[in-house]
Amino acid sequence: MNDRNRHPDNNRPRRGPSGAGSEGPSDGRLVEVHSQLSRDKDEPAEGFSLTPIFIVFLFCGFGFWAGLYLTQNSGNFAPSAFDLNAPKAAVAGGPVAFEPDAAKGEKLFLANCAACHQATGLGVPGAFPPLAKSAWVAGSEERVIKAILAGLAGEIEVNGVKYNGNMPNIGAGLKDAQIAHIATYVRQAWGNTAEPVMDTKVAEVRKAIGNRAQYIPADLLKEHPLETK
Amino acid sequence: MTQENRSGRPQGRPPEGDSRLTRTESQLRGPFLLFFISSVIWLLAASVLGVIAALQQGSLAGGPFRDCEILTYGHVAAAQHNLFVYGWGFNAFFALNLWLLSQLGRFELRNGWLATLGGVFWNLALTYGVVLIFAGNQTGFALLEFPREVGPVLAVAFLLAGFWPIVAFARRPTGHTFASQWFVVAASFAFPLTYLLAQLLILWQPASGVVQAIAHSWFVSNLLHLWFGASALAAVYYFLPKVLGRTISGYYLAPVAFWSFVLFAGWTGPSALIGAPVPLWLQSVGVVACAMLIIPVIITAINFHGTLSSEGGWSRAWNDTTLRFVSFGAVAFTLFGVLNTVFGFRGYNSVVRFTSFAAGQEQLLTYAFASMVLFGATYFVLPRLTGSRWPSAKLVHVHFWATALGAIATIIALLVGGWENGKQLADASVSFQQVAKAGSTWNAVLSVSAVLLLVGHVAFALNAFGMILKSSAPASAGRHD
Ligand code: HEC
Repeated sequence: MNDRNRHPDNNRPRRGPSGAGSEGPSDGRLVEVHSQLSRDKDEPAEGFSLTPIFIVFLFCGFGFWAGLYLTQNSGNFAPSAFDLNAPKAAVAGGPVAFEPDAAKGEKLFLANCAACHQATGLGVPGAFPPLAKSAWVAGSEERVIKAILAGLAGEIEVNGVKYNGNMPNIGAGLKDAQIAHIATYVRQAWGNTAEPVMDTKVAEVRKAIGNRAQYIPADLLKEHPLETK
Repeated sequence: MTQENRSGRPQGRPPEGDSRLTRTESQLRGPFLLFFISSVIWLLAASVLGVIAALQQGSLAGGPFRDCEILTYGHVAAAQHNLFVYGWGFNAFFALNLWLLSQLGRFELRNGWLATLGGVFWNLALTYGVVLIFAGNQTGFALLEFPREVGPVLAVAFLLAGFWPIVAFARRPTGHTFASQWFVVAASFAFPLTYLLAQLLILWQPASGVVQAIAHSWFVSNLLHLWFGASALAAVYYFLPKVLGRTISGYYLAPVAFWSFVLFAGWTGPSALIGAPVPLWLQSVGVVACAMLIIPVIITAINFHGTLSSEGGWSRAWNDTTLRFVSFGAVAFTLFGVLNTVFGFRGYNSVVRFTSFAAGQEQLLTYAFASMVLFGATYFVLPRLTGSRWPSAKLVHVHFWATALGAIATIIALLVGGWENGKQLADASVSFQQVAKAGSTWNAVLSVSAVLLLVGHVAFALNAFGMILKSSAPASAGRHD
């Protein structure tokens, strides 16, 4: 197509019409005539043709529409947006639908909890109880949320071992969604298999307990007895 | 080869053999016939399997072959699909694309044995793959059903058999190029690339499930649009002006058609994944690509139908065997493009998702467009290469009417049946029995049209093989006029 600067190779001998020649132009002629046509863009000169202009406008319109459609229907190009209806809110600047995310939870856990409970979730014998396989973590999600929000102080038995320590109210400084991510991670890491936790649940609990002092583990158990030993 | 030409031999006529053949044509006759004959054999095989599959689908009890384990619907349908695409579609376009670009580029195929070798590999690999499908060994990805060891062989065979058009293009004697050349070159590049990538991502180094689904939809849309679509468009661009003896109207738009087609066709795939857990923006890109594909469709419509509309072109096309098939195909392509755009949109797409509608669209492209164009091209090319006439005009008529009616009936059944089916599935008040019952009428139509297609293809094969045999029989060598 970029043949403006090239010249037919005249060294090559010309061929006569190929084939029987009974039908149509020879192939060489066919190519030449058409390439002439596409270069001069000359339809037979019977006045001014509106077709090309119309087509240009039409195609520009298509292009414009395509851009519009893409920006409005692509969930902000987020790799996790699958459904047309959910991310519409995001485009409008509204709240994004929450999804508990254990990967985010892990980062937050390492930053906020691992100093005491260790990255392995096994805690430190005699000082910090384990979260791995802990019955406190499994079962009722409110128990975990309360522990994180208000903290714990006093005697506690985890996996048959007694501890007497002090866990500050770390959750007071975290957002609902962050706590939900952490709780989800804790409930699903190290062989734990409890359900994920939603941010709405955290908000609910935070509202219910208000700005209270640390729980004594025995009191917390009265509100939410352990489901398993 | 330039050496040869400078030696002053009379040009345009081969030194020996048929006096009607140009040198170009006599060189590629061998590989062409190999590709062509294999394509027709595969077409026949696919049509027989098509009849069996239609019968099986039509009867809830499993059809006449329910006791035969090899011939279960899953095997037959997969084998039919692959034979039609890789056996018929590829061999036939190997032949036609090679012929077309040799003609347009005045290219003399010197290493024809390489192309022949590629053709042999291609068909052996295909046979092996189909045998494995019948043995129950297939992957779950449409058009990549062959077990993965077949893939590399097919890829290498493609390079040997399908790359010559690019060589012919690169060696063309003049700087001028023609639309047919662009489309064939694009087709010859696009297929091996997408095939290898899809093989890699899906079968050899399986990516995650979602990525596999995306890669697969991308592969299928490339295969259908850029192999079948582009190759057949090339043929239409050639045969219309060639046979009518006039130029393409609005030809100056053709480059836009070409670039927009290759640009958007490859992106249409993800629109098949609407509603799947695939990133939303990718789905939307698919929708937009389907919609933008209307640009080349409009331009080709101006080019083709404009050319046919002036000076009694349609009636001349109707009275010429080649053009009758080719213009049937050109109309089918326009229809396909419009449907593709409309049903790319989410609203319509959600109705026909999970129904036979997509199969109908594919038939529109691969059969009503590409295959009909291929038939038309054969009526033009084969007499020149064999130097004889088509043995029976009656068979030509049978071929046209059986395939045209069969194609129309198949496509209407798949499209309308799919639409109805989708509406009913979405409607909770319609019981599943009712849905199945409504589908059975369309299945009957499909069975009848499968038989029609088979009849048409047998007529075509008889005629073509008769002609090839006649031309190779020594007694008839001097008989044609
Ligand atoms: C300053 C150290 C410290 C930090 C930081 C800390 N904890 Fe604790 N955690 C403790 C101690 C000590 C106990 C035992 C409290 C007791 O003895 O009453 C405990 C107990 C618990 C328990 C109940 C017992 C068990 O093992 O199942 C849970 C659940 C828990 N912590 C979760 C968390 C989470 C989640 C975080 C991060 C948001 C966190 N902790 C951060 C020290 C800490």
